[in-house]
Amino acid sequence: MQRSILDARRHLPHVRNGMEIPRGTAWWRQIGWRHVVGIGVLGFMLFPVLYVVSASFNPLGSIAGGSLIPRSFTLEFYRTMVNGSKYPFMRWYGNTLLVALVVAACEVMFSTMAAYSFSRLRFRGRRGGLLSVLLVQMFPQFLSAVALFTMMSQLGRVLPGFGLNTLTGYALILMGGTMGNVWLMKGFFDSIPHEIDEAAEIDGAGHVTIFVKVLLPLVTPILAVNFLLTFIHVIGEYMLAAIFLTDDKVKTLAVGLYGIIEGDQSGNLGLFCAGSILLCIPVVLLFLYLQKYITSGMTAGAVKS
Amino acid sequence: MTSRRFTYADGPSAEPMLTLGRTTSIPALLTKIIFLGLVLGLAVAIVPALISMRSWTMLAILVITVIAVFTIYTTRHCVPAKYLFPGTFFLVLFLLVPVIYTIQISTTNFGDGTRASKSETVSSIVSASVVRDDSLPTYTMSIGVSRHGDTTDDYVLLLVNSTTGRTYLGTTDRLSLMPTAQVTVKKGRIVAAKGYRILTAEQVNNAGDAITGMSVPVNAGKGVAIHTSGISSAYTGTENLVYDSSADTITDRSTGDVYSPRMVNGRYLFVDPQGRAVSQRSWLSSVGLANYTSLFTDSSIRGQLLTTSLWTLFFAVFSVAGTFLAGLLIALLFDEPRMIGRKVYRSLMVVPYAVPTFIGFLIWSTFFNKDFGLVNQLTGLHLDWFGNASLAKIAVRTANLWAGIPYMFLISTGALQSLPADVVEAARVDGARPIRLFFQIKMPLLLVSVAPLLVSSFAFNFNNYNAIALMTQGGPFSSDGSLFGGTDILISGIYRLAFGGSGARFGLAAAVSVLLFFITALMAIIQFRYTRKLEEIL
Amino acid sequence: MRRLKLTMCSMVAVVSLAVAGCGGESSQSVSSTTTDSGASSSSGSVTRANADLVIWADQKRADALESVAKNFGKKNGITVAVQAVATNLDTNFITADAAGNGPDIVVQGDDKVSSFVQNGSIKPVQLSESQKDKFVANYLKTVTYQNQTWAVPYAAEGLVLIRNTKLAPNAPETFDDLISTGESLVESGKADKPLALQVGDTGDAFHMQPLFSSFGGYLFGEKSDGSVDTSDIGLDKAGAIAFAKEISKLGEKGSKVLTRSIDSNNSISLFTQGRIPYLISGSWALSDIKKAGISYELTTIPGFSGKEPARPFLSVQAFYVAAHGKNTSLAEEFVDNVVSESQTQKTLYDAEPRPPALKSLLKTESAKNKDTAVLAESAATAIPRPKINGLVWSDPLGKAEAAIIGGADPVSTMQSAAKTVAKSLK
Repeated sequence: MQRSILDARRHLPHVRNGMEIPRGTAWWRQIGWRHVVGIGVLGFMLFPVLYVVSASFNPLGSIAGGSLIPRSFTLEFYRTMVNGSKYPFMRWYGNTLLVALVVAACEVMFSTMAAYSFSRLRFRGRRGGLLSVLLVQMFPQFLSAVALFTMMSQLGRVLPGFGLNTLTGYALILMGGTMGNVWLMKGFFDSIPHEIDEAAEIDGAGHVTIFVKVLLPLVTPILAVNFLLTFIHVIGEYMLAAIFLTDDKVKTLAVGLYGIIEGDQSGNLGLFCAGSILLCIPVVLLFLYLQKYITSGMTAGAVKS
Repeated sequence: MTSRRFTYADGPSAEPMLTLGRTTSIPALLTKIIFLGLVLGLAVAIVPALISMRSWTMLAILVITVIAVFTIYTTRHCVPAKYLFPGTFFLVLFLLVPVIYTIQISTTNFGDGTRASKSETVSSIVSASVVRDDSLPTYTMSIGVSRHGDTTDDYVLLLVNSTTGRTYLGTTDRLSLMPTAQVTVKKGRIVAAKGYRILTAEQVNNAGDAITGMSVPVNAGKGVAIHTSGISSAYTGTENLVYDSSADTITDRSTGDVYSPRMVNGRYLFVDPQGRAVSQRSWLSSVGLANYTSLFTDSSIRGQLLTTSLWTLFFAVFSVAGTFLAGLLIALLFDEPRMIGRKVYRSLMVVPYAVPTFIGFLIWSTFFNKDFGLVNQLTGLHLDWFGNASLAKIAVRTANLWAGIPYMFLISTGALQSLPADVVEAARVDGARPIRLFFQIKMPLLLVSVAPLLVSSFAFNFNNYNAIALMTQGGPFSSDGSLFGGTDILISGIYRLAFGGSGARFGLAAAVSVLLFFITALMAIIQFRYTRKLEEIL
Repeated sequence: MRRLKLTMCSMVAVVSLAVAGCGGESSQSVSSTTTDSGASSSSGSVTRANADLVIWADQKRADALESVAKNFGKKNGITVAVQAVATNLDTNFITADAAGNGPDIVVQGDDKVSSFVQNGSIKPVQLSESQKDKFVANYLKTVTYQNQTWAVPYAAEGLVLIRNTKLAPNAPETFDDLISTGESLVESGKADKPLALQVGDTGDAFHMQPLFSSFGGYLFGEKSDGSVDTSDIGLDKAGAIAFAKEISKLGEKGSKVLTRSIDSNNSISLFTQGRIPYLISGSWALSDIKKAGISYELTTIPGFSGKEPARPFLSVQAFYVAAHGKNTSLAEEFVDNVVSESQTQKTLYDAEPRPPALKSLLKTESAKNKDTAVLAESAATAIPRPKINGLVWSDPLGKAEAAIIGGADPVSTMQSAAKTVAKSLK
């Protein structure tokens, strides 16, 4: 007996992006439950953020007081931020993005280079060097502001574009942390089998070629993660910025926002919350963009194990 | 992994035309040239300024750096250095130098009141003792500079007595009458004077200290002099204190008290025989290891030291383990390619990390408010979260978990993607079931990459001042005056010691930082040996 | 090969010369474009193109100062830069000044005098007698330390009682009246809590001060010359003990008027929700209260019946002259003369309505604005904060108060607080 096409369709596999998606209870067992748990997890993680959002629309800007939906709704804080009537927010925003992008890019570059040498090259003091890099970063950087301030004010006298109150000077200081994720990168380099290197060597590649053309593409996920982490860290940095960037033209958004609430005892955090939300947006966008690198995974190596 | 020196493959058959080191392609060559040119140019531009400022240390550093850059990048040797140099350069400059500075400070009494050298302190104490006496003449003032003396700026005060209207010339030596014929007075101020050029506000400013520090002696024996006040007036005042450098004493002219330096509580103060200090200002002096020993002998620390250390350890371990497990599980949750909306889920997971920590912890602290907080409202309990030490600890741990999960999630997501797909595939083909796949194949590979991060996260949380300070400020505090509160970790408690008291004591805080660093470093080294063993097993 | 290597080296040299050339020029021309105080060479022969006066303040004050600064600049032909420092203004100022790169003027509260003096960061201001007479005497006194005046005040206030007139139409005569009215409102369901007085888990000695003083509590005794007598600590004396017993009765184990769950984060917002009749706070609360549409009235804080009047702490905002600023003459000119001008203080007042420090201006503004009058009335009898690092006394006292409100034994807690203070003063 001939079955109808509709019947036939039901038995065809449901395919998307070349992957077969199960249906019915199989879907629930393999995929559906993930959505449920995922939403629950996101709820927990985003719940406090909802308060930040709520305060940014609340003219009284209060985060305490329990109710999530504000009694009255206002766009005044966002408006103040965008039209710059009170403070040059957009300029601060621009400064922040600029510094964050530059520092993150340098950080990824330098730490990857260093990780490559720690992982692939053998030299005296390799183990010790690696450990020292990590240990230096463990030091409570409490008094660093005082030391760096003196250093940068001296630097500013010799190189005027790089001293206090300059974004370049501030970016330089942040580059002190460029070795921050060396361990992270090294770990990933280590997980790539040496056979790949050897194969490239046999083909006549020098160390630069191996680094750039062979290994880098294999570690793109962690490069992207590294970039994102540094980006987030720089966007939120305000302690060093508070003493280095005092002129309105060069402030970053974080420092500007903290400045607004610091002298203000009224407890109205509306503007600060609006600014924080605006700061989150590039992070989310960046992550969305970088995800395609993170999930590219590793192409099956040219090596047969 | 074999241990061998990296050997270079021989290049292609054709002899390279242009080389600088091993670089052979033109764009790379150009980049190198520009880079080296920039470095050299920058250095050359700075050198004259450094010489004029006599900063020999900075000059030396600059020269060494330039030599290093050139050696590393123009020869074919030092291959590892080529990769290590940029990151290390910044690390040393901006991370290591402050560390050295901190260690240096820990042997001094640097802090409030002890920031300057002895001579600066003495001169500032003395100059701040000028008392204005309105019974003595006040003047309107113009600043003049001698027209003929252009090499050294000889400033004079051109004064008009506010009451008598007489005009005077004041120099650093003496006050003398200025004949009215030689000056032009308009609206009570001298606007022109023969032989002198009157300075504008801007020029007065540029002269800086030369003018503000200037005083015209009227009665040197009694310390009476005319001092400037702003840019347009002057007053007569008495400098009450006088410093005798040979006897090293400060004497108060009006009372006759003599103050000499004595060590009081770790700092030098000028005190009189009864012990009263003329000023709380002191100067920087070295105290050797006194800061460190005081930490061990201070009774307010000793009582709670053990419990606080245990809590700090527990807090760090719990935070790392908790955030890692949660982050990993969530990463695995979304590690299903067939799930739609993964991108959105993952991007949203990062949002808590982008929110400033200050506001994140603030909101969590309002959640745990006894009467108005969300936790009590949702659960119906009426727990005094911050009033009870154990409950407060739970609150702090929960908030810190929330703050740290996104980071671990990001790392785990990246790590899972970077697992060698062929190994995983091979195991799957071999028939391994998902759970076994996870534990025996994925997890070990994951741990190898991620282990160092766990170690540094542990170190970070061991000294996580922020989390404690923003949530509870270390409370709840018992009423027996002990230093450590219920949720204080070592760093938050001991820093309080450095910043309480009659002024901040950075020297003590520095010593605390160094000590805590040693403790965490030791633990980190131990953990590393352990992970290295792990590495070798795999 | 060798020729090519030579070409390489010469190319490097050319590039570096170009950069050096540009670099050299820029290091001299940039000094006129950077507006911070960091671009001068030590020899003093390079003159600054713009003689800058740099003022540091927190964001709110910086906004108010903009026009004043511009006018001063125009009058004297210089540029004035008002910079808002985001956090830790006081410690950052001390660090920057010590490094020779700080501002010329800093705007801070009176509580920073002793710290600034101790670090040698400020210069005394030399006001003439006639200038001093223009100010409310009390305010000048708070910035006087070791026989010198260290700042010129421009605004002063003390804590006041803010009352929701819809819930409580009549001003309370005594603090006990306040409590009973508040409690009856709670009982009838019209209010959630009788009083919003921020305590928090670590206490708030500043906000507790009115109650503390009403019982005769004092922090430190005063010596004959007016300075603080650190050997006479009032925390374990009769007044403080009586106070401790009272707040224990009002605390969480008692009538629950005072509670640690009200802190600096939620006290004002609880009041603006309209469910609490009384709030003890300052001028900073008024803008949100007005925004929320609460009908309110300010009165000074009443004392407890049969006890002394309540006296809050006096909090004065002032201009300080930096000791190591680059433009001390202009700074002195600004602080001594401009700040004490009525026009200046009026501009600052219009931007942020806190009672001005000039006597005549205060009178006119108090007549125009009732809130200002009450804030000034409170300031008139307020107690100056002791010129001792705040952490020495406000921290232990605050924690003791929080503990007592939480149910700890009042007498022993206060006594150990006194001991802690004594110890840190040694």
